[in-house]
Amino acid sequence: MAVSFRAEQSANQRKTWLLLGLMFIAVIALVWAIASLFGLQIYWIVPLAVGISLIGVWTSYWKSDSLVLAMTKAKVIDHANAPQLFNIVEEVCVAAGLPMPKVAIVDDPAPNAFATGRNPEHAVIAFTTGILKVMDREQLQGVAAHEMAHVGNRDTLVMAVAATTAGLLAIIADVGARVAIFGGGRNNNNSNNPIAAIVAIVILILAPIAALLLRASISRKRESLADATAVQFTRNPTGLRRALETLAADGSVVHQKSTSVAHVWIESPLDGKSKSMFDTHPPIGERIALLRQMEGAPPAGE
Amino acid sequence: MASMWILIIVAVVIVLLVLWAIALYNRLVKANVAVDEGFAQIEVQLQRRFDLIPNLVATVKGYAAHESGTFEAVTQARAYGEKATTVPEVAAADGMLTQALRGLLAVAENYPDLKASANFLSLQEELSATENKVSFARQFYNDSVRTLNTMIVTIPTKFFVGMAGVKAREFYEVPDAANRNAPTVSF
Repeated sequence: MAVSFRAEQSANQRKTWLLLGLMFIAVIALVWAIASLFGLQIYWIVPLAVGISLIGVWTSYWKSDSLVLAMTKAKVIDHANAPQLFNIVEEVCVAAGLPMPKVAIVDDPAPNAFATGRNPEHAVIAFTTGILKVMDREQLQGVAAHEMAHVGNRDTLVMAVAATTAGLLAIIADVGARVAIFGGGRNNNNSNNPIAAIVAIVILILAPIAALLLRASISRKRESLADATAVQFTRNPTGLRRALETLAADGSVVHQKSTSVAHVWIESPLDGKSKSMFDTHPPIGERIALLRQMEGAPPAGE
Repeated sequence: MASMWILIIVAVVIVLLVLWAIALYNRLVKANVAVDEGFAQIEVQLQRRFDLIPNLVATVKGYAAHESGTFEAVTQARAYGEKATTVPEVAAADGMLTQALRGLLAVAENYPDLKASANFLSLQEELSATENKVSFARQFYNDSVRTLNTMIVTIPTKFFVGMAGVKAREFYEVPDAANRNAPTVSF
């Protein structure tokens, strides 16, 4: 069964919006829970939490190009340093109609690559020395297309919104829990409604976990979207599929295990072997199978 | 009071309709600009390919001076390409040059010393990258044309075609089907 990359793209875009909507609903539910448990006097934490998570996430979003470069020790290169890699990125930019990003190399034997930057004009895409060693031109083109797809789809922005919302929920729930423990005597108007109180406490506990799950889920949808958009750019699912097969076969992971940059890599350095709801990437086997379907070929083993 | 509410609602509806019309008009104009930009990009990439040719021809000549027919075909196709202006002309010249370069690379296959030279290897990489860029530029242009041409015949954008002054555009079609594929450059 052949799958069209356009159908994949619109499905993943739709799911992203749905998930962001669910996160927003979680915020509203949590605020309601706080209000119903403690009354109106602690509403001030909402703007405070918004402020804290906005400042934290958005400064890193705005500076994402230089921050991630510094954290991963990536070195920006030009055409003379790696003509083929530079050419490949230029090709993909022509296909995507995007401006040429900064191209960087991370000295790391594990094959991997990432893209970041607040907008296409400030984008950086980086490759490890390992990936340049193990992949041929067609595979690297697939990887570059996947990374440029993140740039074109504005995934740094999408993930910043998701991170802000998750941070907001964590802060509100945290303050709520502290007030519940240390200032329990102050709840006024809902003591006569035990069901509402129980629901509110459950929301207080579950909201931050739900936020993390939704955030991971959004990240997975953006990865699938980037795979589909990469195919739109190159019209060659084979290159990316073969690249992912090489990554799947390779057991090594990049040394950067920091969660703050984990989601940017093409293959997650954190996700375990077994499938989990907290994974930032879809299982690599599923990504390969989907690309095979885009090639119009049957999945492996059939 | 009721009449004032009706007036407000009518006014709001009119404003929304006008905004909607402006948005559709802008979409058409932007789609048209995207086609122009797409064509400009093809020309940029073709120019880059033209620029590579003297160097490539000189390098191959150093090892295979007597294959003059091949060099002539390349030089001719390049000259033809530099004069072309309209979409079908540029596309035809593009096809001719792709064909001629394929011949040149086939000639190079017969000269192991040439194939192994560092200069030729780097030219080969530049040439295959340029071929890829040309073909991606064609793809981007044709996608832009498809988007515009679809908007021109579908509702509601169809109603604003006259106002925006846009016309259906030509696809960039390389005449010989075999020429659509870049010459195979092995690594």
